[in-house]
Amino acid sequence: MFDIIEDGDKMDLNQKLEILSAAAKYDVSCSSSGSKRSSKAGSLGSVSAAGICHSFTPDGRCISLLKVLLTNYCIYDCAYCANRKSNDTPRAAFTVDEVVNLTINFYRRNYIEGLFLSSAVIQNPNYTMEMLTQVLQNLRTKQNFSGYIHVKAIPGASQELIDKAGLYADRMSVNIELPSDHSLKLLAPEKKKEDIFKPMKQISTNITAHLAERKKFKKAPIYVPGGQSTQLIIGATPDSDLSILSLSQKLYDKYSLKRVYYSAYVPVNTGANLPAIQNPPTLREHRLYQGDWLLRFYGFRAEELLNEKNPDFDINFDPKTNWALNNLQLFPIEINTAPFDMLLRVPGIGVRSAQKILSSRHLAPLNYEDLKKLGVVLKRAQHFITCRSKYHGAVGLNETNIRTVLRPKLDLNIADNPYQQLNLFDHMRDAKMQPAVIFPKHFQIPQKLLLAEDALTSLTGEI
Amino acid sequence: MKEYIYDNSFDGLLTAIFYAYSEKDAVRITKDMNDLPNLFYEKVTVITEQDKAERVYTSLNSKLSYETLSNVYYLYLYNDPAVDTLILSYVKLCFKCSSTINLAKNNDIIRTVDKYVRRVYGEAHRFHGFVRFKEVAPSVFYAQIEPDHDILPLIVSHFKERFSDQYFIIHDLRREYAIIYDLKEAYFKDFSIEEGKKIVLSSQTDCFESLFKSFYQAVTIEERKNERQRRSFMPKRYWKHLIEVK
Repeated sequence: MFDIIEDGDKMDLNQKLEILSAAAKYDVSCSSSGSKRSSKAGSLGSVSAAGICHSFTPDGRCISLLKVLLTNYCIYDCAYCANRKSNDTPRAAFTVDEVVNLTINFYRRNYIEGLFLSSAVIQNPNYTMEMLTQVLQNLRTKQNFSGYIHVKAIPGASQELIDKAGLYADRMSVNIELPSDHSLKLLAPEKKKEDIFKPMKQISTNITAHLAERKKFKKAPIYVPGGQSTQLIIGATPDSDLSILSLSQKLYDKYSLKRVYYSAYVPVNTGANLPAIQNPPTLREHRLYQGDWLLRFYGFRAEELLNEKNPDFDINFDPKTNWALNNLQLFPIEINTAPFDMLLRVPGIGVRSAQKILSSRHLAPLNYEDLKKLGVVLKRAQHFITCRSKYHGAVGLNETNIRTVLRPKLDLNIADNPYQQLNLFDHMRDAKMQPAVIFPKHFQIPQKLLLAEDALTSLTGEI
Repeated sequence: MKEYIYDNSFDGLLTAIFYAYSEKDAVRITKDMNDLPNLFYEKVTVITEQDKAERVYTSLNSKLSYETLSNVYYLYLYNDPAVDTLILSYVKLCFKCSSTINLAKNNDIIRTVDKYVRRVYGEAHRFHGFVRFKEVAPSVFYAQIEPDHDILPLIVSHFKERFSDQYFIIHDLRREYAIIYDLKEAYFKDFSIEEGKKIVLSSQTDCFESLFKSFYQAVTIEERKNERQRRSFMPKRYWKHLIEVK
């Protein structure tokens, strides 16, 4: 094993960077937010609470941190992972100095906001965690670096090592990846559920303890000021949206996580236990992010949005519209009197437009025409509100009618179907029938659709 | 009908507001650099008077609110010839209805003001990230930018705090001036495009540029390519100075 690593050392920095950042790219988290620190004299760097994006890749995701693995030599063989032991991919390992050097120099050129350091598990979890901590220690103490650092806690590493890393990092994360025990056994049999949740619990306890300490002693050290996050893979296993969202809700409630990221499964491997999909299910991922936002900023609970009867989001409607249509007895609500938390529950009204409504109606009651000026999406909102007691919906307060108007012209289930490219004539071929309509040759179903009116919050990675 | 022409400075704008405020007829305020000949307006050149500017400044701050004052400043940085006249009508509206009128998000003037302020604020935030330094001499860094609005005054404190131990210049090519930081203080200085060219030509290639390019290529997930999304976050007009897409 050591021989291989020495081979890696002969590689030039550029090659290593290419291999180890490509290996880290499936980790979605890139946010540099949640922590704030101004610079001390003579030290390099600062952290801004809102986070800063430095660039955007062709897939539309932001580059905020230098996202690399320390190494992609791995002792595990998780079915879904690009770095699994049995894969024949180029392997490399950074030295501590190389990572430090890259981080500092990228930072000085304002390419990045800080470092996102993760690693495959080399030798054993403790050894890996210790290597990661060395990089952090070097950056913070030798280089006086006070930019953002996000570090992975390696499941199975000892408590002391995780405690130590947390004193240097702004954010720590443990990736759950697979949303249920069953899926974990299927795709990552070497990992144990307890190993994943133990460090998570530990970090959250540490954060609370250090915060309490700081109330007593102003100079007590801060522990992971940016909080912790995690990631779940969507579509690699048959888990329902309900089980995924309930898990997220538990994580927010119990461990006060800052973010749960969802990552549409990109088929990097093939295997008996893996689904043979063609496209990552990005629309499903998008709906889950919308659901996640509803949990965190709109006061919804997972069990309101989904239930055993409907365990998955309807791809054609956003989760809030779907909820409103299932609870039509609560509507319409009067814009000029409804409380803030009820305004937030109207489809087409977001946090910002709800605030604007509150602020403007403070001076004078609002007209229907005003709503558009405030940024309310009337296409959806009109069906659920009254304005000065007048109902403006075009089709009346009736579930079937509203569904018909709001349904996208093209069924998005087809566009997001990850399993196959549908052929319009499939069913006819079976029956050996001639097609009744001849479509022009260029007619095809677009494979990746974005919903025009949906803000793609999921991809900016902030907050 | 009068058109007040001022010397592009913020104090000049406040002086112009002082004189134009009591005008009964339709009136315009224009920055000297945006001044175009026209037939309908009688031009009045405003000479900046420190005491008048101060009076307007304090009354905006104390009689209205700090928010109103800061809105006026952000609007002043907005790149549009008609913005100065908008500032006047905004100030008039605020004095007429008190600064609570800022809450009326359905009012057309307030709406435009909010929109413009957000644009300036948003661009300043973007440029916390979109500045690309090149090491032109050991520990001396130089960056060129071409923002839509005049955002240098808004980003100076961020960069000064973050890179307190390195010399740097951030050069706004559109307005031909720059932030210069010399380890003690950051100040603004006129800086022509030619001077900028000289600096770039005399410097050597920076090896971290190609490393960053490799990184940029490597972290892209091909299966999720989404060009429209990228352009909406990072519009093409900024690409000229971003080394990873140049």
